Amino acid sequence: MKVDPVLSVRGLQVSFAGAEGPVPAVRGVDLDVWPDEVLGIVGESGSGKSVTALAIAGLLAGNAQVRGSVFVDGQDVVRASPDELRRLRAERIGFIFQDPTTTLNPLMTVGRQVTEGQVAAGRLARGEAGARAAALLREVDIADPVGRAGQYPHQFSGGMRQRAVIAMAMAGRPRLIIADEPTTALDVTVQAQILSVLARRQAETGAAVILITHDLGVVAEVAHRVAVMYGGRVVETGPVRDIFRNPRHPYTAALLNSIPRLDRADSRLDPIPGQPPMPAELPSGCAFEPRCALGRGQLVCRASDPPLEPQGPAQRAACHFAGEAAAPVRAAARAAEPRPEPTAEPLLIVDDLRVHYPIRAGVLRRTVGHVRAVDGVSLSVRPGETVSLVGESGCGKTTTGRAVMGLVKTAGGRILFDGQALGGLGPAGWRKARRHMQYIFQDPYSSLNPVKPVGEVVAEPLRIHGVYEALGGARYVAGLFERVGLSPRVMERYPREFSGGQKQRIGIARALALQPRLLILDEPVAALDVSIQAQIVNLLQDLQQDLGLAYLFIAHDLSVVRHISDRVAVMYLGRIVEEGPKDAIYERPMHPYTQSLLSAVPTPDPDARRHRIVLEGEIPNPASPPTGCTFHPRCFRADERCAREAPAFVPVPGEATRAACHYPGPLAGAPAGEATSLEAAS
Amino acid sequence: MISYLLRRILQLLPVLLIASVLVWGMIYAVPGNPVAVMVGENASAEQVAAETARLGLDRPVAVQYAAWLGSALRGDLGASIHSREPVLKLIGERLPATLQLAALATLLALALGIPVALAGAVAPNSWLDRLLSGWSALALGVPTFWLGILLILLFAVELRWLPSASGYVAFWDAPLQTLRNTALPALTLAVYVSGIFARFLRASLITELNADYVRTARAKGLPERTVVMRHALRNALLPFITIVGIMTASFIGGAVVTESVFTYPGIGRLLIQAISSRDYPLIQGCILVILGIYVAINVVVDLVYAYVDPRIEYS
Ligand code: SF4
Ligand code: SF4
Repeated sequence: MKVDPVLSVRGLQVSFAGAEGPVPAVRGVDLDVWPDEVLGIVGESGSGKSVTALAIAGLLAGNAQVRGSVFVDGQDVVRASPDELRRLRAERIGFIFQDPTTTLNPLMTVGRQVTEGQVAAGRLARGEAGARAAALLREVDIADPVGRAGQYPHQFSGGMRQRAVIAMAMAGRPRLIIADEPTTALDVTVQAQILSVLARRQAETGAAVILITHDLGVVAEVAHRVAVMYGGRVVETGPVRDIFRNPRHPYTAALLNSIPRLDRADSRLDPIPGQPPMPAELPSGCAFEPRCALGRGQLVCRASDPPLEPQGPAQRAACHFAGEAAAPVRAAARAAEPRPEPTAEPLLIVDDLRVHYPIRAGVLRRTVGHVRAVDGVSLSVRPGETVSLVGESGCGKTTTGRAVMGLVKTAGGRILFDGQALGGLGPAGWRKARRHMQYIFQDPYSSLNPVKPVGEVVAEPLRIHGVYEALGGARYVAGLFERVGLSPRVMERYPREFSGGQKQRIGIARALALQPRLLILDEPVAALDVSIQAQIVNLLQDLQQDLGLAYLFIAHDLSVVRHISDRVAVMYLGRIVEEGPKDAIYERPMHPYTQSLLSAVPTPDPDARRHRIVLEGEIPNPASPPTGCTFHPRCFRADERCAREAPAFVPVPGEATRAACHYPGPLAGAPAGEATSLEAAS
Repeated sequence: MISYLLRRILQLLPVLLIASVLVWGMIYAVPGNPVAVMVGENASAEQVAAETARLGLDRPVAVQYAAWLGSALRGDLGASIHSREPVLKLIGERLPATLQLAALATLLALALGIPVALAGAVAPNSWLDRLLSGWSALALGVPTFWLGILLILLFAVELRWLPSASGYVAFWDAPLQTLRNTALPALTLAVYVSGIFARFLRASLITELNADYVRTARAKGLPERTVVMRHALRNALLPFITIVGIMTASFIGGAVVTESVFTYPGIGRLLIQAISSRDYPLIQGCILVILGIYVAINVVVDLVYAYVDPRIEYS
């Protein structure tokens, strides 16, 4: 390329002061990004991807030691004075952070925050700041930008806040934009909106973009080139197609193999064993060696850290056996084997479940209305079956799960477990029922008591129910640890000594202790690293097969759901809008919301960049849902009947699913004029 | 907004009522008879009984309370048993002095505490931070009476800049004289409280300085000064408002030691005198007024929150 790169990083090393000497977080990273280019940096926790990004903008804390060189637009970042750094950030780098709920100052109007940096740098007159803020907000598609500029962050929805953060990053017309997990905290339909705004603004300004993410789908969708990071180094880099089609590094290949995919129906995942290394305890030699199928135990891999070397014209990989890495083609045997149709009577029946939260107002805090968090949900789960509840935040899926467990008060409907109504149970009855139903939480970090050894944590439910001795005491608990793939020798340790995946295993062991028949799994893998998710998903599937467990699986990740479910129910604003066998939902969805949702999920396949339905707007406030069909303001098929009349939830004639829609039907390609089409990154 | 205010006040009224019942009950639970104290040791049993009846103290406690409450609601807190003067007048004489002391002490504590917190939080664990933390610890550790005496020795006895005992002069009549009179007791109170302020604000500032929005502010290229003052400090001051409210309230009636050392005519001393002479109406009156000011400060704190924090809705 003739043009100079906007960003050029050479031999970047970052270490943090630790109790036992410096901890290396980044160990020799080289990167180049050119104008008009999107570089995706992929990695798991501890890979050094975020630290690299902060180092590029000179934003690392004072206890970080930085070596190597970073040039942004010709300016040396590592050796810049504080004043030069400030100018650089104001004029040439735009930074977009992950969580839009915390990246904005709650006490300052959004408009002021958007332009504040430019005013402080003397590039924008104070008097013009208001107009400029509105213009910037308009450019990221915020409706009523003038009015919105004067509002505070809490008056913005999550997606709008992230738009505002993008506007802020664009305020100085930067040459380099660094986006660190910009959509991870957002719902998938909002993620699609944000990625498209980001791509459009990038194309309009010709900036260079670094997109940091753990989501291979997002990378495949928007990046031109990819750098895969592991253990503080770039282990593979190249054009996005080569990386996905022909990965040369065993880690890249294994990562691509381990993720569940929306576009395929596999029966089993190929997890990467073990867990990503902590920066403080890197193995000598190749950091991936303990987990590498190709190099594990190889002397050369243990002895020396392989350099990043060219593999073919544009690709580079850091592996002693780079040529031999397996291509990400799954073995044919992994194709879905039809699961026997469960025939038994349903174990759990939920019938017309309602959960309402009061809205209070006025001097006396009187109840003036209700939020219908769950508004007439019916479903059933049979033994050995997995039924999934999917939907975006606020759709009521978690509340449904909690209501089944008796953790929230219901306002109506029936819950039958094994033929017995749970509604009228007293505390003792609930306790008995809970022996057979267990809840597994999303966050393995906070759901384990930190001051008890994990053996005690797992034994606790046994003691509460007074069956510890009857079931076999310590021997039984040890058996539970083996069951979830942990050595019983770790029973004396405390939760903080375990990684996220191990903690989730402990959580599962505890849930299994009382030999339940139904597990309610609330986002059980959402907090885990990509390579760990597959391990837990496989464990759950094995347990189900061996123990005949029924699962009510609550998740927002549609790929994981496709992989694990037998049946899927899609929720929107407290109601199930479509329900059916997994393959029908994924292959032939009937409801426009299901169709939009599936279309919004990025697939880890750069050739599949496609037209998609980008839903307008965000989920409405559940306190005042739209009239008629609650989806109508965002629906591409809506007409005035939809605004007037709520559709019934009925089987779609001739199809396998049931849907709540006046006009159910398969999606005919990407109907022009009905759907907004978008080429992700130009 | 108005409804929000009304609701807050409505919520606080029961607090006042319950407190007055508790105080009433407590006084009666403690042995001792005010009439006996008043009429003197040599009085006969008949004299005591007559005086008791005259004051209405022979009625059942509940009836006495009801009567008291009835007149209190009409703005009459009765007369002191001891001096026979109206309770409201006695309190009215002391109230301005007390409020003045509380206000000045709070201002001084803020002036001492905020810079210490800022300097420490900007560079945590630096030598300056350690030095300032040491100062805060010292401020918290020194007994108030001891500090008061020390200040008197220094400023009144040694340097003769300020008076040692402080009569009250209304601020509007002689502002300078007022300040001179109030300076030493206020400083005594402020030193201790500045230690609390500094510790609390430092911790809260350090939390804010590590918040995501501060990182965002730095990423836009703002000068560090602006990052700290405009972003971190404003957010750190939010939880701090409550602490300031609590401390200011504690100066009302809770500054007895300081008031005694400086013979300052505050409500705290009035209350102690009333308790030692079992002057029921005066005790009740003092406590009611002190609690009333607590409640008022509470409401003011809420108003300040509603003003500075856009997230609070007053619906
Ligand atoms: S160098 Fe060896 S251990 Fe490392 S990725 Fe290559 S084959 Fe695996
Ligand atoms: S009922 Fe109408 S608005 Fe609702 S999903 Fe169907 S077509 Fe769309």
